Amino acid sequence: MLKLKHSIAAISVASGLLMVDLAFSLGPSRALVFPESATAPGSFPDQWIHGSKSAMDNEDPAVQVHRYNDHTYILRENKAINYEGAFMYVFFGNEKALLIDQGSTSSPALFPLRKTVDKIVSDWESEFKQSNTHLIVANSHLHGDHYAAWNQFVDRPNTTMVGLTHEEVMNYWGFSNYPNQRIEFDLGGREFVITGTPGHESSEIAFYDKWTDLLYTGDMFYRGRLYLQDWDAWSASIRRLQSLANDYPVSHFVNNHIEMTNTPTIDYPIGTTWQPNEPPMQMTRAMLDEAVNAASKIDQAGIYKFDDFLIYNEVPWAYTTDP
Amino acid sequence: MLNMTNLNLSIPTEGAAKLDLIIDLGQSGLVTPEFYWSSAQTTDGSEQELMLHEALSKIEEGLILKVNGRRQMLALTDLNLEAISLDAIINPLTPQMARISYELQSVKLSTEDIVELQLASSIDVPWPCLVRVDAFANLPASRLLTEETRSSGAILLGLPGQREESDFLLALTLQFQSASPALSWLAVGFQHVVPDGADHIAFILGLFFLSSRLTTLIGQVTLFTVAHSITLTAAIFGWVSAPSHLIEILIAASIIYVAVDNLYEEQSQRWRALAVLGFGLLHGLGFASALGSLELPQDTTLSALLFFNLGVEVGQLAVLVMAFACVGWFRQQPFYKRRIADPASVTIAGVGLYWFTKRLAIYLF
Repeated sequence: MLKLKHSIAAISVASGLLMVDLAFSLGPSRALVFPESATAPGSFPDQWIHGSKSAMDNEDPAVQVHRYNDHTYILRENKAINYEGAFMYVFFGNEKALLIDQGSTSSPALFPLRKTVDKIVSDWESEFKQSNTHLIVANSHLHGDHYAAWNQFVDRPNTTMVGLTHEEVMNYWGFSNYPNQRIEFDLGGREFVITGTPGHESSEIAFYDKWTDLLYTGDMFYRGRLYLQDWDAWSASIRRLQSLANDYPVSHFVNNHIEMTNTPTIDYPIGTTWQPNEPPMQMTRAMLDEAVNAASKIDQAGIYKFDDFLIYNEVPWAYTTDP
Repeated sequence: MLNMTNLNLSIPTEGAAKLDLIIDLGQSGLVTPEFYWSSAQTTDGSEQELMLHEALSKIEEGLILKVNGRRQMLALTDLNLEAISLDAIINPLTPQMARISYELQSVKLSTEDIVELQLASSIDVPWPCLVRVDAFANLPASRLLTEETRSSGAILLGLPGQREESDFLLALTLQFQSASPALSWLAVGFQHVVPDGADHIAFILGLFFLSSRLTTLIGQVTLFTVAHSITLTAAIFGWVSAPSHLIEILIAASIIYVAVDNLYEEQSQRWRALAVLGFGLLHGLGFASALGSLELPQDTTLSALLFFNLGVEVGQLAVLVMAFACVGWFRQQPFYKRRIADPASVTIAGVGLYWFTKRLAIYLF
């Protein structure tokens, strides 16, 4: 009798635990789907917050958070805090999030990027019934204005820091033939294609999101001064981007800065903390094609002006078109 | 941002470690741009050093390299001043970088050593400062120093540079290792029981609920320890091996056995020691499988293994102390077996049965 009682109790405990397991596995799926058959729509703000005449009196948030769509966020550092006004991106997949770039200011008091990202993740988890989202802290390239707040994440639980050396970046994404290789990256069911785009900086990578069809081109192609330290590498990279855009539909080319004004060929002064009447950050296929054409024509160092970008071919960074 | 600082520590397998500080000296506040320009104009290296003596002294005072918690002396070996013009030095957008090279002559570093780089508050550099450590691992390690965070924290030279996860326990382990390298393996061993070894904890609790006699418990835990140390060592050195999924199933079975055995201790007491010995051997293989995911240092495998084992024992003791704290007070009470030990053993048997069924199902299907 005693044996039977014990046996029943032990089996009950085991059965209970197995039932819990079964209930979790049979429960309604919370998995998000990211179909690649059609472009997931998203929107940009009419105007990004763009600094102020007096940086001291600026009352805008330190980080502008824009929800491009349910699972894609674009952040911008307040230009009054740092003139770079760098854009950063948060992409969500099932149980994973990817943060690309960490801005140009280290101080959490001035630039609370970690706090902002934590809130985005937490709100997103509540809205989409997700939990335990693993954050990948990555970079488009290894310039200090894109990883200044990297330290804010080093003690974050459930986080992978890709690293700030070329070798760590290549190892994390799995490049064995950088920059020519195309890497398929799965962010929890959301598929990306990553390829090498050196030229502005020697470890730069571009991300193509198969769900939104956004092609993120970092600092190697944006509305601004394209500072190129290695012309041959950049001209190969811009062709590589064109080839990627030939093979996949691209909704928008998104990137890291706005430095051009609304007037063709004219940029804002270097170091300005106020950029009224900014053009959009996102760029078009026609602009990319123009850059590819430029790549085949330019064969000398110097500054070359185009309607939507300026090419600074192997000239010191301080050289400007400012009057 | 363009003129941010770099600190590169390079540790070759042969020869002295090298530390390079790459800094926009003319923008650092340590010298004026004009003074930097005139120093750079000087072609004689020793004269340059003499001119920059004050700045170099401040850097040497504020640039701290610690190995296993102890500050090391740095010997200046080279000074290279980039400067195309005074205007370029004055303009932070055209950084003119100085490379100041040091050697770490007196210390031979190994994979078990911990280094830490700091910039003391006595010096300011153009921030941030990217730290790169090239050592024995396949990948470099990168850290960022900022005005707010002036230390790289502990960097274990034997670990791959890439940090898979910001793990509080790993950070704690590394801090331990700053004090004594061997202590980190003690912490890793402890973590393999608490909190990572739920099945191991269940087994230890199974032993705990066997008897109200402390001597019996100590005897069985010691036997278990000796047994799992034997197989763990043998597996680490490649003398024995077993498929991990099979080991996991058998470990679950061992939990059921000890728990059920507790209910009928009078009948099976004589076989108990033998069974505990056998299960100890089994659990050792389980630890070896878990330890396989970590890289034991090649040159000090034995000491790392010893401390890992010690950590496991401390973990086991922690479980037993917790169990004593919760129900040990009642061990001499007449109701202890019927009201506490037996229900606990039944629960442990049920949990073991759950693991056994689940692991078997995963293996079969």
